[in-house]
Amino acid sequence: MDKTLQVIVMCIVTHLGLMFFLFPSDVMETVDVGHWLPILVGYLLHFAFVALYTKGLAYYDRHDLIDIFLTGGRTIAVLLLLPLAVYFIMVNIITVRAYSEIITIVFLSNTPLWAIMALLLTIPTYIAMTGIESIFRTGMLLAILFLPIVLFVICVSFHNTDWHYLFPLLERDSFNFITERPFLKSLFIFTGSFLFLGFVRPTVTYNRRRILIASWILLPLVLLSVYIPLLTFGQDTASMLQFPFILAVDTIDITWLMFDRITGFFLLGMVTFVMLFVGLVMWATNRLIHRCMPRVRPEWITLMLGMVIFAASLFVRDWGSVHRLFWWNSIFRIYAFSVIPLATYLFGVMKARKLQVSP
Amino acid sequence: MPLLHELKLRFASDDDIFFQPDHILHIPVVFIGLTSLLDLIQTKERLTKDAFAKQGLAADDAGLLRQLGESIDTGDLRSAVTSLLSGKMIVFHKPSETFIAVEAASKPLTRSVEEPSDESVIHGPRSAFNEDIDTNLGMVKRQLNSDKLAVKSYAVGANSRTRINLLYLENQVEPALLTAIIGRFESNKELDVCNLQQLSRMLGLPSWAAISPYIRTELPQDTVHYLMRGKAVLLLDRFPCALVLPNDLWSMLAVQNDLNYPRLFTLSFRLLRLAGVLCHILAPGLYVAVVSVNPEILRIEMALTVAQSRLGVPYPALVETLILLFVLEMVMEASVRLPKSIGPTITMVGGIILGQAVVSAKLVSNLLIIILAAATIANFTISGFVNSISIRLFKYVILLLAAFYGILGLLSGMVLVCAYVSSVTTFGIPYAQLARKSRG
Repeated sequence: MDKTLQVIVMCIVTHLGLMFFLFPSDVMETVDVGHWLPILVGYLLHFAFVALYTKGLAYYDRHDLIDIFLTGGRTIAVLLLLPLAVYFIMVNIITVRAYSEIITIVFLSNTPLWAIMALLLTIPTYIAMTGIESIFRTGMLLAILFLPIVLFVICVSFHNTDWHYLFPLLERDSFNFITERPFLKSLFIFTGSFLFLGFVRPTVTYNRRRILIASWILLPLVLLSVYIPLLTFGQDTASMLQFPFILAVDTIDITWLMFDRITGFFLLGMVTFVMLFVGLVMWATNRLIHRCMPRVRPEWITLMLGMVIFAASLFVRDWGSVHRLFWWNSIFRIYAFSVIPLATYLFGVMKARKLQVSP
Repeated sequence: MPLLHELKLRFASDDDIFFQPDHILHIPVVFIGLTSLLDLIQTKERLTKDAFAKQGLAADDAGLLRQLGESIDTGDLRSAVTSLLSGKMIVFHKPSETFIAVEAASKPLTRSVEEPSDESVIHGPRSAFNEDIDTNLGMVKRQLNSDKLAVKSYAVGANSRTRINLLYLENQVEPALLTAIIGRFESNKELDVCNLQQLSRMLGLPSWAAISPYIRTELPQDTVHYLMRGKAVLLLDRFPCALVLPNDLWSMLAVQNDLNYPRLFTLSFRLLRLAGVLCHILAPGLYVAVVSVNPEILRIEMALTVAQSRLGVPYPALVETLILLFVLEMVMEASVRLPKSIGPTITMVGGIILGQAVVSAKLVSNLLIIILAAATIANFTISGFVNSISIRLFKYVILLLAAFYGILGLLSGMVLVCAYVSSVTTFGIPYAQLARKSRG
């Protein structure tokens, strides 16, 4: 069945969940002026790799990533997929740990961190257990329920903006940022949520072209996530903040709303999307592990995975460790971001060549 | 006369049966039937008239009798019993050892077609299903004049035979759904079906699901609408509802009669119901979250009002909410159970308890009463009683999470409910399927 819309909604929603927290401060660390440039470069890289990845997948009808890599032999498949599995697990640990911290800061200062992490893991574990089609439907329902709130907050967040902060648009030597640490860190919002496309093929079909077109919706959203705090506070202030976007939303005062802080609802809307993201990544990890241990029931694997991630998150002591872990994960991230799509594409091309030669 | 003897033995403990020697025209016969199910005098009259008309057509007496009904083999006890139990009369002709099952005038054991009692309709078709399966089938056929309507009839159960009709539109129904249902009927024919749990067991549907696999409706109009959307409909004998398979999320918000109004009204009704669903599951949780965990998200004036209304209430917000919810649920359950003449008493008593007394005794805050009353009213906007029970249950999950995690719990409860709702499937068709393209 064609599920293009569901796939698009899933991509947008999971990206939304990730982009408003760490990303703005990373971009502001990367450059002082012309923030649109690193964003655009990041986005174009993302677009190019998504295009390559889906192109590669399209050569194989109804095969998932594991099947595709297995055509090159067991060793190659393990070599290619092992780092991906590590990346997925690390992403889950970091996301759960980081978001628990954010929730504690903004919201639940008295609740112990482990309790929040337990909640942030229990629900995704359940989501992951229900299977991919159910995950897509959950995504749709969550989008219907929470996207209006999120879009409302994004609209009113222009409340305190000063458009003079937009300039200057560019300065010389603008491209020096590409090898810098904050830029590489900022790429994370683009990596996590498209790799799942490689695992859904056996059950879900989608229209590749429409997904690529729809992915342009992300660009304005990513720009907003950086430019709203920038236009509210200016680069000098905003770059000092840990979560610039959240603070920018916090400055909004709408008298006719009965709630004092709309940040809360925005943040929690995002957290629901993040739960979905974690659930999705857990499902993909589960697929990878299940292939290695086909005898164990997938539900048990997901459950064990949830416990391992929970235990690992407990070991991350403070925010500094989260950042360190985040940086270590960059290697895997860049690998997952670039090597996996490229490999998929190459496998696809090789298959196409073989088909041309053999008849 | 083995069959006659066997019948006597079989019904030895049932005084309802009669064996009455009599004549049709000049032919001596024995009438066998169940007094409670058939009207003997009328049946006799009809038989005599029929025999008189067909007098010239048959050579002998036995031949004439065969013209009146279906003959039963002398060894076939099973079909004789079935005929008797389904309200037919058996005519026995001794000289030729012939048994004939004839249609009998039945006693009026079914109410006539009435207005719906559980689903009221405003300005729409108003006849509702009743207990008689044939009447119900006729009503569906009246409503849907189509040669594509297929009806499959089953009689299931080893101890008590229940008639079940399966209805679908040939060009609309999902083939996989149809094969699955028919397959289950064929393979589980011997299971008794006296209630819907047994039916679910027969169809192999999960018995612990928090969402009913069927949509129930007592309106032929709605039934036809579901048929046209490719669903299968089951009619059970002695059951005044059509059971539509599979259930979907949309049935919670949409009533077919909405379409008898202008579009704008339809849309507003449905949005209102959506708001009702959200209000019912979120409002109690929101109260607990705001009062006990996250008071800071409210404006200061609002927060003060809330705090003031809770002055003197001795226990935590969760306990307060649970107590009042418990009373409310009891009132709802009691008013379903009570005869109509005592019904108003419960309204009055409940109104006094929940209205004034409980507040002036400082047992709960009056804000909570307002919130729970609104939530309860919201519950009744949902279309379908069974759907509203699911929502009533989900509310408690969210309430508990909200008590622990505040607003975060409230929203993660929503995620949990969404994930659960998305994971429910009936015969492989998801409950949360929002749109289905029409076939053919």
